[in-house]
Amino acid sequence: MTAIAKGQDAPKSQAELLYEIQLRKERQFRGNVAITWVLLVLFLLLVFSSLEIRSSNGTTELAIWTFEKVTKDGREILEKTRTGIATFSIGLPNEGITLNTILVDKNFIAQNFTFIARGIYWTIRISLFSIALATILALLAALARLSSVPFVYALSTFYVSLIRGTPLYLQILFFFLALPQLSINLSGEMAGVLALGLNYGAYMSEIFRAGIASVGKGQREAALAIGMTQGQTMRRIVLPQALRFAIPPVGNDFIAMTKDSALVAATGFVHELTWNAQKVGRAQFRSLEALIIAALFYWSMTILLSYVQNKIETRLSKGER
Amino acid sequence: MDNKPGFSPMPIVKIENLDKYFGHLHVLKNVSLEVPERQVICLIGRSGSGKSTLLRCINFLEEPSHGTIEVDGIKVAGGEKGREHRQLIHDVRLKTGMVFQEFNLFPHMTVLENVIEGPVIVKGMDRKKAIELAEQNLDSVGLLFKKDEYPNRLSGGQKQRVAIARALTMEPRVMLFDEPTSALDPELIGEVLNVMKKVALEGMTMIVVTHEMGFAREVADRVIVMAEGELVEDNKPEQIFNAPKDPRTEALINRYRTGAN
Repeated sequence: MTAIAKGQDAPKSQAELLYEIQLRKERQFRGNVAITWVLLVLFLLLVFSSLEIRSSNGTTELAIWTFEKVTKDGREILEKTRTGIATFSIGLPNEGITLNTILVDKNFIAQNFTFIARGIYWTIRISLFSIALATILALLAALARLSSVPFVYALSTFYVSLIRGTPLYLQILFFFLALPQLSINLSGEMAGVLALGLNYGAYMSEIFRAGIASVGKGQREAALAIGMTQGQTMRRIVLPQALRFAIPPVGNDFIAMTKDSALVAATGFVHELTWNAQKVGRAQFRSLEALIIAALFYWSMTILLSYVQNKIETRLSKGER
Repeated sequence: MDNKPGFSPMPIVKIENLDKYFGHLHVLKNVSLEVPERQVICLIGRSGSGKSTLLRCINFLEEPSHGTIEVDGIKVAGGEKGREHRQLIHDVRLKTGMVFQEFNLFPHMTVLENVIEGPVIVKGMDRKKAIELAEQNLDSVGLLFKKDEYPNRLSGGQKQRVAIARALTMEPRVMLFDEPTSALDPELIGEVLNVMKKVALEGMTMIVVTHEMGFAREVADRVIVMAEGELVEDNKPEQIFNAPKDPRTEALINRYRTGAN
């Protein structure tokens, strides 16, 4: 204990002081960023809070708008209703101003929340199948790209060029709408997974190719010198190192794909998040609410996935050269 | 094992009429060489003289253009193709261990995993037995205590010693060293040379491409001087260093003596 106490008394070196100042600055910066984030979220909540502030003739009124069921001409309809919350005896003179925020239908949200949420299952399911397919295709395309056989090389570059040269939306529609003309009937999910997998596979092949290329020639030679076959060298020495290199960008692609899975809604037969939100939103003229709910789900999923990706990256960085 | 130490009727490595072209460049010109068992040979020469290429031809990391390589009775002709040829190359590689200038440890495996990789994956050795053998060899290069570290935690000298242990654990008949100390900081060279000396004393046949003249003088049974793809002089180290016959050898020795290389 005495040694520690002594250490605290000892004057700090210039470098230590500078380091501390830098640490403090960094902490301050991160703190301010966090505060701003909270404020932005609060602001967003305020924008959709349905509150109204009306200030005129020396009084300020705080009120909230809601949709209420009323019976008119024997029919039950929803009507915008204003309910006062509080009144203050200070405010602007004469006409003053009225600040209105966006009115969202809370009844609708309460009724349809679970229906839209059910879409998450399909969104995740499609994303997982697609990323699995994409990874396999990307790996094959990358290996083919490194081949010295012209046919194999051409196959890979042709595939990548064709897929990257056409829109993903069109590809999904093609698999779902065009293939039946050739008597190939795919379910909406199947078409979506195929299109997403092929599309992302083409983009990801570049990542894998770069990953494989990043493994030095010496690694291959060392493996061959202990008697490994080309296949063993690839599987045990080159690919593990290439994959480690590829995991961060593949993680990014996976996150992008969960969002692009929304395009599968175009088939009309896959009840994923966007489709569900669209369906109930259109039917009840509440697309604002429905799409906001879907957006929040996507956003939360993305944040969660980014967090997981970060964790994986930290774990993988051990043993790096 | 050889029952007459120091004497072997058949050379363990036999190189006959080896030619190697890189495009139009003729880097090895009709090279022939026999290496008896237990001999330590140092290959010296200026950069570009073909010494590394010759070494790499022995385990077919470079495919010779013409000529044959024979290692422990397995004879492979250069410049051929096909399954049979690949099988022969594989057999030769099992008989030879190689140590590289850049170590080439596998960065995604621990030291122990690096060393057992070959025996387990290539030879199908029982994992327990491989670990036993690996630990024995790591101990003999003085790095058993680092067995669970990843290579990035080792110094250059330690990496090279692990690389030597990795090659030894394959139980080769011949060890090939390709400038094993050239990528090392000067203060780390000694520990690697000491390990190599130990391996030589244990009776391993070694072919060493090196610029370490002290090592060549002290450990080698034979020193071979190469220039422009040919073997210029092949003799005992005393002869090479004290009474070189070829002017190119003399020039080379003088360059080392004056500290330039």
